[in-house]
Amino acid sequence: MTFRQARYDEPLLWDIRRTSPEGNPPAVAIPGIPERFRRQRLIAWPELSELELIRHFTRLSQMNFGINTSSYPLGSCTMKYNPAVSEQLARRRGAAEVHPYQPEETVQGSLEVIWRLERGLQRVTGLPEVSLQAAAGAHGEYSALLMIRAYFRDRGELDRRTEVLLPDTAHGTNPASAAMAGFTAREIPSKEGCVDVAALRAAVSDRTAAFMLTNPNTTGLFESEIDEIAKAIHGAGGLLYYDGANLNAILAVTNPGRMGFDVAHLNLHKTFATPHGGGGPGAGVLAAGERLAPYLPVPRVVKVGRKFRLDYDRPKSIGKIKTAYGNFGLDLRAYAYLLYHGEEGLKHISRRAVLNSNYLARALSQTLPRPFRSLVKHEFLLSGAPLKARGARTLDLAKRLLDEGIHAPTIYFPALVDEALMIEMPETESRHDLDRFVEAFQRAATDTTQNLHAAPRHTSVRRVDEVLAARELRLSWRDLREPPTAPTSPPRPPGSPALPEGPVGSPAPSSGSPR
Amino acid sequence: MPRWIPDTSEDEAELLKAAGFASFEELFADIPRRVRMGKLGVGEAKEELDVVQAIDKILDRNKPYSKFSTFLGGRMPVRYIPAAVDAILSRSEFYTSYTPYQPEASQGMLQSLFEFQSLVVELTGMDVANASLYDGATAAGEALLLCRRLHEGHRFLIPASLPWEEKSVLANYAIGHPIRIEEIPFDDRTGRMDLGTVRAAVASGDVFGALADVPNGFGHVDEGVLDLKGILGEIPLAVSADPLALSVLRPPGDWGADVVVGEGQGFGQPPSFGGPLLGLFACRREHVRYAPGRIVGGTKDAEGRRAFTLTLQTREQHIRRSRATSNICTNQSLLALAFVVYASSVGPKGLAELQGRLAEKARTLASALGGIEGLAAPRFDAPYLSEFTVGLSSGSAVDFLRRLRARKVLGGHPLADPRPAHGGRMEGWFLTAATEMTTDKDIQKFAKAARGAVVHHPGGP
Repeated sequence: MTFRQARYDEPLLWDIRRTSPEGNPPAVAIPGIPERFRRQRLIAWPELSELELIRHFTRLSQMNFGINTSSYPLGSCTMKYNPAVSEQLARRRGAAEVHPYQPEETVQGSLEVIWRLERGLQRVTGLPEVSLQAAAGAHGEYSALLMIRAYFRDRGELDRRTEVLLPDTAHGTNPASAAMAGFTAREIPSKEGCVDVAALRAAVSDRTAAFMLTNPNTTGLFESEIDEIAKAIHGAGGLLYYDGANLNAILAVTNPGRMGFDVAHLNLHKTFATPHGGGGPGAGVLAAGERLAPYLPVPRVVKVGRKFRLDYDRPKSIGKIKTAYGNFGLDLRAYAYLLYHGEEGLKHISRRAVLNSNYLARALSQTLPRPFRSLVKHEFLLSGAPLKARGARTLDLAKRLLDEGIHAPTIYFPALVDEALMIEMPETESRHDLDRFVEAFQRAATDTTQNLHAAPRHTSVRRVDEVLAARELRLSWRDLREPPTAPTSPPRPPGSPALPEGPVGSPAPSSGSPR
Repeated sequence: MPRWIPDTSEDEAELLKAAGFASFEELFADIPRRVRMGKLGVGEAKEELDVVQAIDKILDRNKPYSKFSTFLGGRMPVRYIPAAVDAILSRSEFYTSYTPYQPEASQGMLQSLFEFQSLVVELTGMDVANASLYDGATAAGEALLLCRRLHEGHRFLIPASLPWEEKSVLANYAIGHPIRIEEIPFDDRTGRMDLGTVRAAVASGDVFGALADVPNGFGHVDEGVLDLKGILGEIPLAVSADPLALSVLRPPGDWGADVVVGEGQGFGQPPSFGGPLLGLFACRREHVRYAPGRIVGGTKDAEGRRAFTLTLQTREQHIRRSRATSNICTNQSLLALAFVVYASSVGPKGLAELQGRLAEKARTLASALGGIEGLAAPRFDAPYLSEFTVGLSSGSAVDFLRRLRARKVLGGHPLADPRPAHGGRMEGWFLTAATEMTTDKDIQKFAKAARGAVVHHPGGP
């Protein structure tokens, strides 16, 4: 297949018809609003016809890869097919035209969807209580850490338990969430791609609040020593946190509860096929064991007799983590997905996802080296290091893959593998798609260095200069018309984190991370 | 097997064999028996038709607000969404893509997000905006954290009139740091923030930031916020603003805001029982390196053509890990797209005129409710746009609104914190909003229902 992405020199909205930012007419005056609080001129935004608008965004859409246009083997992101029927259901009047502040008796259907999905996810996670309030995976992580804080505060141990441990393969959100929640994030080294349990035992102490673990982890390996890990953490009085980004690999085979986790987050936009939306919205799920369940956000959806209610009477709750009750539109899609698959279907998802991954891993191990043991779960790693001998890098290979009409894998993550490529082709990719990917990958990896450097050629733009973007910040349409002159890097204020002031030196780590 | 999983069992058997396995079971040989689970217990698989019927049956138990005379609002307004918005949002090239890590393959989403950032810049009067956060409340939480990076101190000032949900979210964003959130009381007559308390707090020191909201939690426009920056001086000012209100109000960037956040759901997204929502976040150029979330920048490709890419990623969790400016990864990009399509569809003049119409309807509503005994509508003597607070002279707003509901009126939402022992003085207050769909007939119906719903205590106040 020859791939050519649409290439429009599509102007910005302001340039479809040349707009003068200063020439906009006076604004509308609202009676009662004091003169000094009135906007003087209308916002500088173009007045366009509907066709101009539709054409603009339709063209933009044609300059975008999605699951519906291409295989999207972005590791740890679980880019599976998003069922068309779910889109239809979420747009039903009974789903969309419901306000969160309506009286309970008028929103029984929405509450029932939440309640039923929570029950289903209790079974999936093996944890007794579930809340759908979190907006995304990282938001769920943060909320779980707040629950852990509250738990130790109640036990009078918070002053002592200041550390959150995590493996060096952890998603970046894990240490970031731990730091935001006021903990010190401490990395545990890996051994052959899995947690070095001896190093973990040495690091665990009465300062340990929690250990955050993704299982299977980001190298695609199942942490088979999970029992020992759980014992080490619980033995020191700490809690075990499950990052559910990779749940697709173990659905209906094992679950966080069975593995000894005290709290978990899931990403409905991964395992439960809600669309990723160009970066979001996602939907986070919080699942808690008995010790942490009282701390879940309010309100909880409860069933009293035949009626569903919002229960705010949870004195230990951490309170609210966002407005309303979660991303209902996505919860509904996930519930449809659960109903559709049922017991056997869910089991088949993980079987097939793991099969796809092992099939690809084996087929591609002739092309590039694979670190660690051979049995992988839903994703696997390759190292692009051999390319360096001929002056190319994993980044070049990723760009070259785009020319095959296939999205690039996650690259340069996890950091413990040199020039890493992290590949995940979920269960919805067919045998034909897998073989096409293998052929494309082999063609790309064996292409000349010159061609790798020149890639991509067939996307809507050629290789994008990310260094220039960071050096000369152009962040709104005005900046594109008139490059900014104001300094972008003032002296660092006291107490602020040290951030790099200059441009990003290497494009290497910038191209992809899960969640 | 569900048809969302492709291929025949023969194909799968061949894949297994090629991968070097004799059975599916062998693929899970690394998962110890001890942690294996038994039956899930989620029932049998269903056909698409059965799923649709099952879900429709459940959704039928909802009574959409469109079946009532609706005055619900707050940060989540009820608006008409032009069909063009969904026509674009339904483009699956957009909605089935993910974070544009590979800019060459994702120019469409990147340019859309760049246009979104530009629109937020125009509305707020700030220099830069990010590509979205989860919702208005979490955006306010991130604003608090940004203020703390910019200024020393431990005290953060917020209006006591802020919606309880936002107060709770703010407390949860502050919890990891030695931060004290202090509520600035409001004037009982006007609902305005007491600037004297702000002055005193600033004078006593240790304040690292303050938050103001436009309109405030009571739905009113508090003119005093224009003087806040003068009082705060070097201390950062965060403003939470409604984007439609900003089509007619002076942008916060003009009156000293250092960071502006807001809830953007009203631009192109139905309330959908409260999610997904859209967090807006904008700040000054000199602070952008301390800002949270994805940011799209303009650049060039290898042939010198204009292109867009995620930029300043060294702030973010996937590179900076525990020293990132925020933990956010997945955001609300698709809603950012909806926001920009909505605003473009309605147009700048249309937005301001819409706000004008809503303000007129809200005034009609206020005069219809104003004369009813036992109701103070508006409760506060201050200007307003689409909504205002109603005060009951006795009884709880929750019960009152339930009685209105029985008369097919959704009159608004209670302002009191529903958690036991949190309610306090707002027990009898609720926020009521005019919407585009509100007719004179709806307003008359509301007034009639309200007359019947007011509880009169003969001996009471």
